[in-house]
Amino acid sequence: MSGFWLILQKDLHAEFRKPESVISMVFFGFLLLVILNLAIPLGSEISSETGAGILWVAITFSSILGLNRTMSQEKENRCMDGLLLSPVSIEEFFAAKMVVNVVLMLLAECSIVPLFFILYGDSFFQSLPMLVLVVLLANIGFAAIGTLFSAITAGTSRNEALLPLLFYPLVIPLISITVKVTSMIFQGAVIKDYSSWLYVMLAYGCIFTGLGFLLLGHVVRE
Amino acid sequence: MSIKKDQIVVIVAALLFCSAIYTVFVYAPTERVMGPIQKIFYFHLSSALVAFLSFFTAFVSGVLFLIRKDLKWDVVGVASVEIGLVFTTLVLITGVLWGRPVWNTWWTWDPRLTTSLILWFIYASYFILRSSVERQDKRAVFCAVLAIVGFVDVPIVFLSARLWRTIHPVVIRAGSIDMAPAMITTLLVSLGTFTLLWALLLYHRTRTLTMAGRVKNLEKRLDGGIL
Repeated sequence: MSGFWLILQKDLHAEFRKPESVISMVFFGFLLLVILNLAIPLGSEISSETGAGILWVAITFSSILGLNRTMSQEKENRCMDGLLLSPVSIEEFFAAKMVVNVVLMLLAECSIVPLFFILYGDSFFQSLPMLVLVVLLANIGFAAIGTLFSAITAGTSRNEALLPLLFYPLVIPLISITVKVTSMIFQGAVIKDYSSWLYVMLAYGCIFTGLGFLLLGHVVRE
Repeated sequence: MSIKKDQIVVIVAALLFCSAIYTVFVYAPTERVMGPIQKIFYFHLSSALVAFLSFFTAFVSGVLFLIRKDLKWDVVGVASVEIGLVFTTLVLITGVLWGRPVWNTWWTWDPRLTTSLILWFIYASYFILRSSVERQDKRAVFCAVLAIVGFVDVPIVFLSARLWRTIHPVVIRAGSIDMAPAMITTLLVSLGTFTLLWALLLYHRTRTLTMAGRVKNLEKRLDGGIL
């Protein structure tokens, strides 16, 4: 397991030295929260569905900045070749990168979610504990697909512009489930009503984490 | 297959297609409620089946490529995604044309409609990915991965599409089991025809792509020799 910890430490260290990813994610998320405000009629209370949609558009669109960075930074100075030569297995490498992505997204969400409550009313605030669970489950799915596909786009000529085009069609189901569950939480629904969808979210994360473990080796060896 | 045999198969497919059109328009009875517009259903469902077959083939060839690393499977993969995308587009277009008079709207966020639209996006991005990688073997690996992940996503897309909007539109099950026997026959004829058409397209597309690859390699070698 030491390879896993080494890569995790290296990436988080680099991020804490110069928090490029997290700052751009938070900034972009904040920006989106403000821009999406344009869609709401002036002076009206937003519905729980609109609120959930706005929150998750801000989170998913800002997360792409972090996802892009995790793999493309390994391209600089051909760090990827060094990593492949090192005795770290591909599985450890994938797990480490995925955890890094989850951590970066969590850090960004720690600012985006409170900003959302400030801008769009704290009537949703009582739903925070369940929202944390939903955020965690969604992050696993996003990070699994994002890690695999940022490895792919890092290997292409178009690089970072390509990831959103590949990433969003694949995560639309997860986004739609997440938005739905979040809006139910905002409405104050009991857990029994949406627990089956939480399992689907968990299953989504597991399936694509498994696929990532299986497929990342093929991608990065190219 | 020799050229002659190829031609025979093409002629058979063309004849079969004519007979499919005949059964749809002449043999099949006109639906009582929806009227003649319901006849779009036969080709709509057949296109959907063919699109699904294509994506399944792309998935299988993606897996085979990653195991065997034989570029042959990459070519089969591209050919089937191309065909699948064309037929998904056809499904969407025929669906929209059918929905307008019957549901009185071009588009509703019905699970099946949403699913096909998202599928269209996933497999359209396949070609964007393809066009942005130069090296052949690398491109093949990336595309195989996308074909696999995309196909695994299909059931989840369908499941989540049920959640898409809370207000479910009246889902009209046009092809419910209590179809007239003549309608079932017609449906089977068009399904068969489309499947043959699909196999034919896949075979020819794979062949042309293989040849195009060979020509490209020859050109490269020729360039190297002259310069």
